[in-house]
Amino acid sequence: MRPPPLRWRIEMLLIHCPYCDEARAELEFAYAGEAHIARPEDPSAMSDEDWQYYLFIRANQRGRHHERWRHIHGCGRFFNAVRDTVSDKFEATYKAGEPRR
Amino acid sequence: MSGFRLPQGGRVDRSHAVNFSFDGMIYQGYAGDTLASALLANGVMLLGRSFKYHRPRGVLGAGSEEPNALVSVTRGPGRFTPNLRATGVEIHDGLTAVSQNRWPSLKTDLGAVNDRLGMFLPAGFYNKTFMWPRSFWDRLYEPAIRRMAGLGEAPTEIDPDHYGATYAHCDLLIVGAGPAGIDAALEASGTSKRVILIDEQDEAGGGALSDPALWPWLEESLKDLAVAPNITVLSRTTAFGYYHDNFIGAVQRLTDHLPHPATGARERLWRIRAGEVILAQGAIERPLVFAGNDVPGVMLASAARIFLQRYGVAVGKQVALMAAHDSGWHDVFALARAGVGVAAIIDVRDSVDAALLVEAEALGLAVKLGHSVIDVHGRLAVGGISIARNDGTAVVRLACDALLMAGGWTPSVHLWSHSKGSLAWRDDLGAYVPGEPNEKVRCVGACSGKWNFGSGLVTDSLPTPRDSARIKAFVDFQNDVTAKDIRLAVREGFKSIEHIKRYTTTGMATDQGKTSNLNGLQIASAALGRPVVDIGLTSFRPPYTPQTFGALAGHAKDALFQPTRQTNIDGWAQENGAVFELVAQWRRARYFPKSGEDMYAAVNRECRAIRSSLGIFDASTLGKIEVVGPDAAEFLNRMYTNPWKALEPGRCRYGLLLKEDGFITDDGVSARLAPDRFHLTTTTGGAARVLNMMEDYLQTEWPDLNVWLTSTTEQYAVIALQGPNARKLLEPLVEGIDLSAEAFPHMAIREGRICGVPTRLFRVSFTGELGFEINVPTAYGRALWERLMADGAAYGITPYGTEAMHVLRAEKGFIIVGQDTDGTVTPYDAGLDWAVGKKKPDFVGRRSLARPDIVAPGRKQLVGLLTDDPTEVLEEGAQIVADPGQSIPMKMIGHVTSSYWSETLGRSVALALVAGGQERMGETLHIPMPGKMLTAKVSTMVFYDPEGARLNV
Amino acid sequence: MSEALTRAEPVTLEAIVREGVTISLAPPMARYSLRARDPGALEVLLGLKLPKKIGTTEGAAACLGPDEWLLRLPLGASIAMGEGLPLAITEVSERAVCLIAEGPRAAEVLMAGCPLDLDRFAVGRATRTIFETVEIILIRSGEHRFEFEVWRSFAPWLQLALTTAAGQLR
Repeated sequence: MRPPPLRWRIEMLLIHCPYCDEARAELEFAYAGEAHIARPEDPSAMSDEDWQYYLFIRANQRGRHHERWRHIHGCGRFFNAVRDTVSDKFEATYKAGEPRR
Repeated sequence: MSGFRLPQGGRVDRSHAVNFSFDGMIYQGYAGDTLASALLANGVMLLGRSFKYHRPRGVLGAGSEEPNALVSVTRGPGRFTPNLRATGVEIHDGLTAVSQNRWPSLKTDLGAVNDRLGMFLPAGFYNKTFMWPRSFWDRLYEPAIRRMAGLGEAPTEIDPDHYGATYAHCDLLIVGAGPAGIDAALEASGTSKRVILIDEQDEAGGGALSDPALWPWLEESLKDLAVAPNITVLSRTTAFGYYHDNFIGAVQRLTDHLPHPATGARERLWRIRAGEVILAQGAIERPLVFAGNDVPGVMLASAARIFLQRYGVAVGKQVALMAAHDSGWHDVFALARAGVGVAAIIDVRDSVDAALLVEAEALGLAVKLGHSVIDVHGRLAVGGISIARNDGTAVVRLACDALLMAGGWTPSVHLWSHSKGSLAWRDDLGAYVPGEPNEKVRCVGACSGKWNFGSGLVTDSLPTPRDSARIKAFVDFQNDVTAKDIRLAVREGFKSIEHIKRYTTTGMATDQGKTSNLNGLQIASAALGRPVVDIGLTSFRPPYTPQTFGALAGHAKDALFQPTRQTNIDGWAQENGAVFELVAQWRRARYFPKSGEDMYAAVNRECRAIRSSLGIFDASTLGKIEVVGPDAAEFLNRMYTNPWKALEPGRCRYGLLLKEDGFITDDGVSARLAPDRFHLTTTTGGAARVLNMMEDYLQTEWPDLNVWLTSTTEQYAVIALQGPNARKLLEPLVEGIDLSAEAFPHMAIREGRICGVPTRLFRVSFTGELGFEINVPTAYGRALWERLMADGAAYGITPYGTEAMHVLRAEKGFIIVGQDTDGTVTPYDAGLDWAVGKKKPDFVGRRSLARPDIVAPGRKQLVGLLTDDPTEVLEEGAQIVADPGQSIPMKMIGHVTSSYWSETLGRSVALALVAGGQERMGETLHIPMPGKMLTAKVSTMVFYDPEGARLNV
Repeated sequence: MSEALTRAEPVTLEAIVREGVTISLAPPMARYSLRARDPGALEVLLGLKLPKKIGTTEGAAACLGPDEWLLRLPLGASIAMGEGLPLAITEVSERAVCLIAEGPRAAEVLMAGCPLDLDRFAVGRATRTIFETVEIILIRSGEHRFEFEVWRSFAPWLQLALTTAAGQLR
């Protein structure tokens, strides 16, 4: 269990959780940023520039965007999704660790 | 005037008279009337004043498209609702309604001077005129505009009503219970589909309600729907917004139509998730654009027919029709058959369907083809009209007391547009109709552009021999936008309809262009010389009609606004006079004043007690996470800055948590209970954030680790006993734990029992005194607290709150994450170098501590500040400068983060973030305050017992 | 030692009765959070059968996530803690209380603030979800019986929200 969000809001999207295998209301989920950005194996070996790129630079994709969500008020799992940032429609959701779609 | 109610007809209940008031006058109507129909029945044509010019306005439509007749309804203090459409307000005994936008009265409105000055108030007037001089804005322009502008008045008292809310799920949602919507519902009856049919009016039926021939069908159909187990019909329910994934927001009005509402909710917010949506919202008739088209008594032809057929009300005794579409003819035929006098049918078209002419002749109605109305006479009501041939000749004046407009039809595509469905232009209709859907949704009936109203001519404005720059022909009645405003906007260079909309305000606000959008587009198109499709269409936005804030808030007000989390011990604090503060969602005791004490006196007393004998503190809100599994130590070693693997079971360690960017995000003391089990603590506000961050690393970066995290924040009530007598109080109450200094040193944990219940007993201190934190199963927190208070009386045990806790920790230089840090502070900046494991190859945030900006000199660092005047307590947040003589604006080098009166030291102490602070030890800095310049010397952060002698006893 | 400490619960112990629904507090119980990649290891250790599908229950256990179960037992029951095994058992008996809404209109009360489609949430299902802003574990223990596991400090709010909703039914 995790504490709830502070603000009341109207939930809109329906999100299919790949672990629960159910479409659930957006209220149960938390957005978690761009997907498929793995923490480097050995950060100390990285140049300042590479490390800065890892820390701060994101694609901010218009259109097909790979991103992470967490079913925080459900099964608790982080998972990946492909969402169109123009239409706000999900193309797919899949478990963490599965290859990029 | 009276006698506009026809002797028969309509669906109102003539056996049930209803008394109501409008602008202080008492009127009578019938059950089933709207405020608009009842006022019209009483001959009241003037219902409001317009927004900008304060022109007299009457009723234009008969439903939610009404732009003019906005009224306020009051039911006593706090129950004042502005901007209701009179065409949607159901009357009941005692209804009290007032008109808007007028002062001192509706008939004599001083604001109407704007109308005379109209030539000085063109489109974009506000943008142009009030730009200069800047200094006039605050004192003159803004107050003046505010007084004149705005729709209705905002209520000033708290709304005492209740509002419900619910979720609903269905396979099919139908919006609009006119014939098309009812047919769609009937089709689904008897299937396994869960169907919801919603309609904004008090009665289902839509257009059928004004067509008596359809009443038997309607009655039969509604009966069928009522008995269908899979169909829910919600009337008085407005679908106000269509959101992603077929999520529809709707508000059901439950009590506004009742004379004496019982208890219960006034409105209910429906949050509906639908498998499929059918929109059957119908179409809205379009006004025509000509001089004087806003005089009270000029209205849509379809509205006149609705008032006739549904309410038994004639909108005039002698009406004229200005038509560009066949439908208006049929409306006037119905009026004529009901005995209403008809002055003439004027049609801008040179020829119409012969059948219309035949019927007009049979009814004895005068017809003028190829003519247009060029003026409307009368100011507060229609007294007559002037018409002319379309070439401007043959001007004739006709007497009439109402003028009906039939400008054609606009499909109601508002919700379709909310859903991001595309729109397709139809030249023949002069309207946009639904194109490609973006959700699982389809439109049926008139809102899809299918209707049997006949055909018409699409026109931007009626021909007139008059100078079009000198007449007011309204396009948007609610926002007071005329045809010439739009033409002016085009002349001034606006080409996109989105810009024209914002410049002229056409189609904005609560109306969302229901009656105005298409006329505005046609005028812009003609002025630009480009087809309508090239100009685009502005977005329709939710809400479809205005909704109350109450409905949107639903339950979320007062005690239900948001949870206030209380500890098991909170009730004791409440009963013992604690003053509380909110920390995250928790309510925490801030201090416990005795009679006559202010906060400072209470906090000083509490601090003295802890330093001299014994204090007791409710620390239950601290976040707790149990970390369990064979890889628990490895995981913590990767998360925290310091080493964890060698920590022995039974010992505690201060943990500092960074984000990957190297900045401090949380801290807390954690204990190793067993080789594979840790009890972590976090800050009160950081508990959820820290757990989420740890889960993120665990699940996505290191999924191979065998370790799991469980929040145990609420599993334990935590009581801190702090002070030299803490051990003495505990010793007789604890079983199975040796409390001696040798067996149970500072920063250790032991498990045993206290007063018969299991405990995890920490020996830790956030005050600098001998201290214990007693964790017990939450349900026993209060009982244990009371026992400790009773037994601690011998030591003068003193309950203390967060304020004393803050003072004591500041005396020791312990930081509060989020107060002394702000998301830009590294461990080095905070003087916590000792908490960073220099030999660890990696931990979260480590790489960032070597980034150039982080190692650069001159970073803001946390230091102590001692004011030269020891009685001066700096203000937290006060800015710090190095050179007091410099000119304003001064170069600020830091700010005060914590500042208190230290009763222990008899002087003030402060912590501050100062650029290059650790290099400035002993330096005098300056703190400019209003009217004075304070001075303070930079010091170390530990003001009291720097050796820690008082801890190790 | 003097007399034993008494429990203090966050909400009233008396049931709240509204038309068609009764809202009450379940008696205290033992609760354990069970975590393991392999449910078999937990089943062997504890000698019980765990549900494998997220959102379902099996006896006293509810499967909340791919590696997470909530086990609810009578107050005072203790279980093996599996020291050294690749799994995690944490006692959370007092973290939450259990509110129960029971009666023919219980589902309607729940729908006031819960976005789940209850027609698709059969008896025996259990899931973490949300009521307005408050996280709950919802267990449907009967056609007209819903249990809400809610963290103690949120229980007064949830009880008030349920009671308020029960007073505003159609």
